[in-house]
Amino acid sequence: MIAAIKAPLIDWSALAPFTSLTVGAVVVLIAGLVGSARLRSWLVPGLALVTLAVTAVELLSRWNHPKVIVSEALRVDNLTVTLGLLCVGAAAFAVILSLRSDTEEGVGRGEYHSLLLFTTIGMLILIAANDLVTIFVGLELLSIPLYVLCATELRREHSLEAGLKYLIVGSVGSATLLYGLALIYGATGSTSLPKIGVAISDTGALTDPLLLAGMALAIAGLSFKASAAPFHQWTPDVYEGAPTPVTTFMATATKAAALGILLRILVGPLLPAVDDWAPVIAVIATLSIVVGNFGALGQDSLKRMLAWSSVAQVGYLLAGLVVATSLGIGALVFYLVVYAVMTLAAFAVVIENERTSDDGERLSGFAGLGRRRPWLAGAMTVSMLSLAGLPPTGGFIGKLAIINADASGGWMWLAIVLVLGSLVSLGYYLRVIATMWMTEGSAEKTPVVKQAREIVAVALLAAAVTIAAGVLPSWPLERAQDVGQTVISSR
Amino acid sequence: MLNSYLPAIVFLLLGGVVGTAFALMNGIFGPKTNRRSASKTSPYECGLPSDVQQGFRFGISFYMIAMLFILFDIEVIFLYPIAVKLKEFGAFALVETSIFVALLFVGFGYVWRRGALSWR
Amino acid sequence: MNIGWYLAVSTIIFAIGAAGVLTKRNALVILLCLELMLNAANLALVAFSRMWGNGDGQIFAIIVMVVAACEVTVGLGLIVAIHRRGLVVDADELSELRG
Repeated sequence: MIAAIKAPLIDWSALAPFTSLTVGAVVVLIAGLVGSARLRSWLVPGLALVTLAVTAVELLSRWNHPKVIVSEALRVDNLTVTLGLLCVGAAAFAVILSLRSDTEEGVGRGEYHSLLLFTTIGMLILIAANDLVTIFVGLELLSIPLYVLCATELRREHSLEAGLKYLIVGSVGSATLLYGLALIYGATGSTSLPKIGVAISDTGALTDPLLLAGMALAIAGLSFKASAAPFHQWTPDVYEGAPTPVTTFMATATKAAALGILLRILVGPLLPAVDDWAPVIAVIATLSIVVGNFGALGQDSLKRMLAWSSVAQVGYLLAGLVVATSLGIGALVFYLVVYAVMTLAAFAVVIENERTSDDGERLSGFAGLGRRRPWLAGAMTVSMLSLAGLPPTGGFIGKLAIINADASGGWMWLAIVLVLGSLVSLGYYLRVIATMWMTEGSAEKTPVVKQAREIVAVALLAAAVTIAAGVLPSWPLERAQDVGQTVISSR
Repeated sequence: MLNSYLPAIVFLLLGGVVGTAFALMNGIFGPKTNRRSASKTSPYECGLPSDVQQGFRFGISFYMIAMLFILFDIEVIFLYPIAVKLKEFGAFALVETSIFVALLFVGFGYVWRRGALSWR
Repeated sequence: MNIGWYLAVSTIIFAIGAAGVLTKRNALVILLCLELMLNAANLALVAFSRMWGNGDGQIFAIIVMVVAACEVTVGLGLIVAIHRRGLVVDADELSELRG
């Protein structure tokens, strides 16, 4: 009876991104306790950036070296590398964007940056998850620090409320997902994704109501996290209430992680059930496109408008997921990266405008920005054009790729919905551009605070990448196809 | 395709109905007249009448210690599976447990240093 | 053993929790209902674990317990913080404006 349980064989080099982030998060937390406030103000963000840089390099070195590690709990493949880099990059930009904000002073710099790093670990684990347990742990490690981060802007009471609201809604999502995972385990008898795949294709588990109910609950739970309609109601309030750098991080990285794991489950073990889940995803995508685009119309707060627009963007992304081919997945991954970059540009501009004027977050605060700060307005213009899907931007190419995948996969009606949704979206994206360039600012506002060079630089960099992805799309598109290929072939 | 979802939908609907019923039954069958009666607003439902006055507020330290207790208390549950299969785990268990406890100590050190344990 | 009964109880608990989150207004009661949802999943996991005769579900349940405690601690922390700011801990009044 007594069979010695062997320690799991751990491939430390493949595990390196996870360990370095974890160690970095703990070090940053401790660094927030030592030295003077002045020392901490550059030491802590510096250490966080170093940690993220090291992690990025380690992730890059795993490109094209797929490996399943820690007793099959994690799978480090090209999808993990791509989306992991996206999340790590988003975290690094969140650190840079919050360099000048005084929000983390109240909660402590160490805590703020450490929570950011812990969230990033959660995202990496979630994207790399190869086991139901890892999915849940990753999701919670992503969510719990984010709840706190949303509540960190202590001087605004909205921030605390946003945190609590996000906690309640997010926990409902997690619990729903967990129940779904429990049912999937019940139907197949294993928590490991590959074994679940075997159980589904070999036995009659496919028609098991347990599996279908579990799948539905899991999709609903992850839709909460990705803020896809009809599970999106929390998005505008939380995006508005959270500190803007945290909102930026949520809008880019959280969505990438949630869509990444949705992709891994649905196109992995659940691929035999594609006829069951594809219509559900298509309906969620359509709802998101419709609800998001109409919700964004007429919003006066830029953060709320971007929140609604992010709901619509998730709809576009899910439209790529419906086509469970390498073409669709490639389009999804490409658009996900482009979406993150253009959203980053938009939020960076909002942050800078928020710093320098009183109503910088309202649409009225953008009046006359083109005259006052043409570079900033330029970056915003590129971002808006790209979000709307107009050439010559990455957003145009990404949407084209998704429409192409939809059309070739027999989802013509979804492609039409996508195009119609984009037309509606012009209504609010172009409104921002018109406000910036065609209206005069109310009275000449003398900037009281100094302009933040690094924030402008982030905005310009993101805008440049957005255009580059639109002008020279072949290299990133091919890489995205590589990722799609590995996901399909790895099952 | 939709047919195969039927059991799942029935399952969810049934759950929804039962859940709502339980949540609403309180309001239907419970006494309606005195929603804010003295016994309902008092801190304890039974026992001696408490000395706690209306405006009394607990110090923040109570909550701090309580929340920290929940965290450190529940972490011990991870030792349970190892305790059950201690013989089979062998030396691996010792290493594993040591690392785990060391990590807990890092957390404890942080909490201590941050001043969350000092009584205010 | 018949898995159906365990599953039925767990579904009912989950539904009570979900309905409570939707209908209750006090943030503390909402946290309690969230715990109900998570523990319903735990019950299902342990029952399935018994049915399949492997320990995966039990390990999963233990991890869920710890995660649930973390979630609740953060929730309580936020509620205490809101309370100390003199704000109301009432979910209806929390949601400033929707849409």
